[in-house]
Amino acid sequence: MTEKIKKQLNITNALFLVFLLIQLLPERYSKETYEINIIIFVVTIQVIYLIFSFITKKEKKLETIRDILGITYFIIIAWQLMTSKSGFLNELLFPAPGIVIQQFIHDLPRIIEGIQSSLLIILEGYVLAIITAIPLGLAAGWHIRFGNSFQYVSKFFGSIPPIVYIPYAIALLPAFRDASVFVIFAASFWPILGATMAGVFNIEKKILDSAKTLNVGRLSMLFHVMLPAALPEILMGCSQGLGISFILLTSAEMIGGKTGMGYYIKYYSDFGDFTRIVVGIIVLGIVVSVITLFFNKLQRYLLRWRQ
Amino acid sequence: MSKIELQNVTLNYAERNNVFTALEDISFSVKEGEFVSIIGASGCGKSSLLSLLEGLNFPTAGRVTINGDDIKGTGDDRAVVFQHYSLFPWMTTRANVVYGIKQVNKKLPKKDLGQIADDYLSKVGLSGFENKYPLQLSGGMQQRAAIARALAMSPSILLMDEPFGAVDAKNRKILQELLLELWENSEDKKTVIFVTHDIDEAILLSDRIIMMSANPGRIKKEISIPFPRPRNGSKLLESREYLNFRKEIITSFFNDISERIGGEEVAL
Repeated sequence: MTEKIKKQLNITNALFLVFLLIQLLPERYSKETYEINIIIFVVTIQVIYLIFSFITKKEKKLETIRDILGITYFIIIAWQLMTSKSGFLNELLFPAPGIVIQQFIHDLPRIIEGIQSSLLIILEGYVLAIITAIPLGLAAGWHIRFGNSFQYVSKFFGSIPPIVYIPYAIALLPAFRDASVFVIFAASFWPILGATMAGVFNIEKKILDSAKTLNVGRLSMLFHVMLPAALPEILMGCSQGLGISFILLTSAEMIGGKTGMGYYIKYYSDFGDFTRIVVGIIVLGIVVSVITLFFNKLQRYLLRWRQ
Repeated sequence: MSKIELQNVTLNYAERNNVFTALEDISFSVKEGEFVSIIGASGCGKSSLLSLLEGLNFPTAGRVTINGDDIKGTGDDRAVVFQHYSLFPWMTTRANVVYGIKQVNKKLPKKDLGQIADDYLSKVGLSGFENKYPLQLSGGMQQRAAIARALAMSPSILLMDEPFGAVDAKNRKILQELLLELWENSEDKKTVIFVTHDIDEAILLSDRIIMMSANPGRIKKEISIPFPRPRNGSKLLESREYLNFRKEIITSFFNDISERIGGEEVAL
C-alpha cells in the first residue's frame, strides 16, 4: 500500500495540484467563462485515474494513462493561463476551456448527429474500397509476379490527389452524400490496391512453393495463403486510406456539405463563432484518435501471429 | 517396378543471356518404401533435383516418373518438408496440419480433422503446442510440425529438402532419431527422398546414398548402406564398421571437393 502511495508522487498529480491552484486566480475575460465546467471535468478524470491506479495491476498501461493525463493537464493549464486567467489572448478568437465545454454540452445532439453522418459516409466508401481493392490487388499482384505493367497504372492513379475527383463526383452524383461516398471510395481504393499488390509481390517464394506442394486450390491459394501473407502490407494501405478519407470528407463537408463536423466548423466560422470552431476541432481530433486506436487494435489482433 | 525413376534428366536455367546447367544426365531409380539420401556440396543441384520430384520444376530433357507416369505438377501422392517456410506463419500449429489434411481429404468433418492433427502432433512430441503460432516455436519445433503435417497428409512419397539444415546440432540429432523412429515403425513404409549435406545424417537414415558433384550437377556415386535396421544413432556412431564405412565415403567426397577450388561447406 505504501508503495502505491509513494508512486503517486509524480508529475501528473503535481500538475493536477497546479491546476487547482490557478483556479484561485481571478477571471480576466469580460464574458462568463463557466470555469466550473473545466474544474468538474479535471477533478472527475483525476478521481477516476486515482481509483484506477489503486486497483490496476497493469503497470505499463497505468504509466501510459498517467503520461497522457499529465500532457492533458499541462495543455489545460496553459490554455487557461493564456486566456481567461491572464487576458493575454483575444477573447473572441480564443475562448476559455470552460465555455468550450458549455457550448459542447449545448450542441451535443447536433454534434452526435454530425459525427454519425460523417462516419456512415466514410464507412460506406471505405468498405466499398476494401472489398473491391483487395481481391483486385491479390489477382493483379499475382500477375505482376510474372511481369506486368499494372503496377504503373496503379502508381499513376494513386499519385493523383483524390480531391480533384470532386468536380466529377458532384457533376455525376448531385446528392452530396453519394458524391462524398464516391470520393472516399476513390481516395482509399488506390492506396489499398497498391499495398495489396506490393504485399503479394513481396511474398516469400518459399511460402508459395510450400502451398503449391500442398496442392492448394486456386481460391484457397488466394484467400488462405496470399491474403494473410500480404496482410501486413494490406493493412498499411488500409490505414493510409482511412487517414486520407477523414481529411477528404472534412474538406468536402466544409466545401459543399450540409452535415458533419466539417460543415459545423465551416457554418460557425461564417459567424465568427470561435467557441464552436474550437468545439468542432477538439471533437474531430477525439473522433479520429478513437477510430485510429480501434484500427490499431484490430491490426494488432489480425497480425497476432507475428513475433 | 520402381516407384520413382529418373531417365537421363537434364535441367537448364536461363540466366540473362547464359544458360546454366543445374543437372546433367541424371539417371537413377528408387524402390517403393526405400529411403534415399541425396548428398553433395551446396550448388551441386540437389535441391533442383528435388524440385523436379516436387513438381515445381520440369526437366529440360529426360523423364521423371512416379509409378511409370511423368510428373505433371505437384500432387497429393507427395508431401514436402522444406528447410524454412514449410508452415504458414499465420496459422497455428494445429491449423497448419488441419489445412494440409484438408487439401488431401476435403470431406472429413471438422472434428476428425482436429483429431488427426492432434494425433500427428503428439507423435512428433508437440502436444501442448497445438495453439502456438510457428514464430512462437523454436526452429526444431517448427520442423517437427512440418513433419507432422507431411505425415498427416498420408502421402506415399516424402520429399525432404535439408529439413534439419537450420536446426542446432543437438536438436538435429534428436530430430534425426525421431524421423528414423517414425519411418521405421510405420506400417506402410513411405518412399523418402532426403536431401542433405550432412554425411552422418545420410548414413544414419538411408538405405542408399546418391552422391552428387557440382558444375554441372551429376551423379558421382551410389552407395548402399549396409547397416541393419532398426538403427540406433548413438550405438551406430560408435561402431568400428561405421567408422570405416564413413571414412570410405569421405575419401570419395574429398576427391570431389579438392577438384573444385574453394569447396563449399560440408559437415564432415
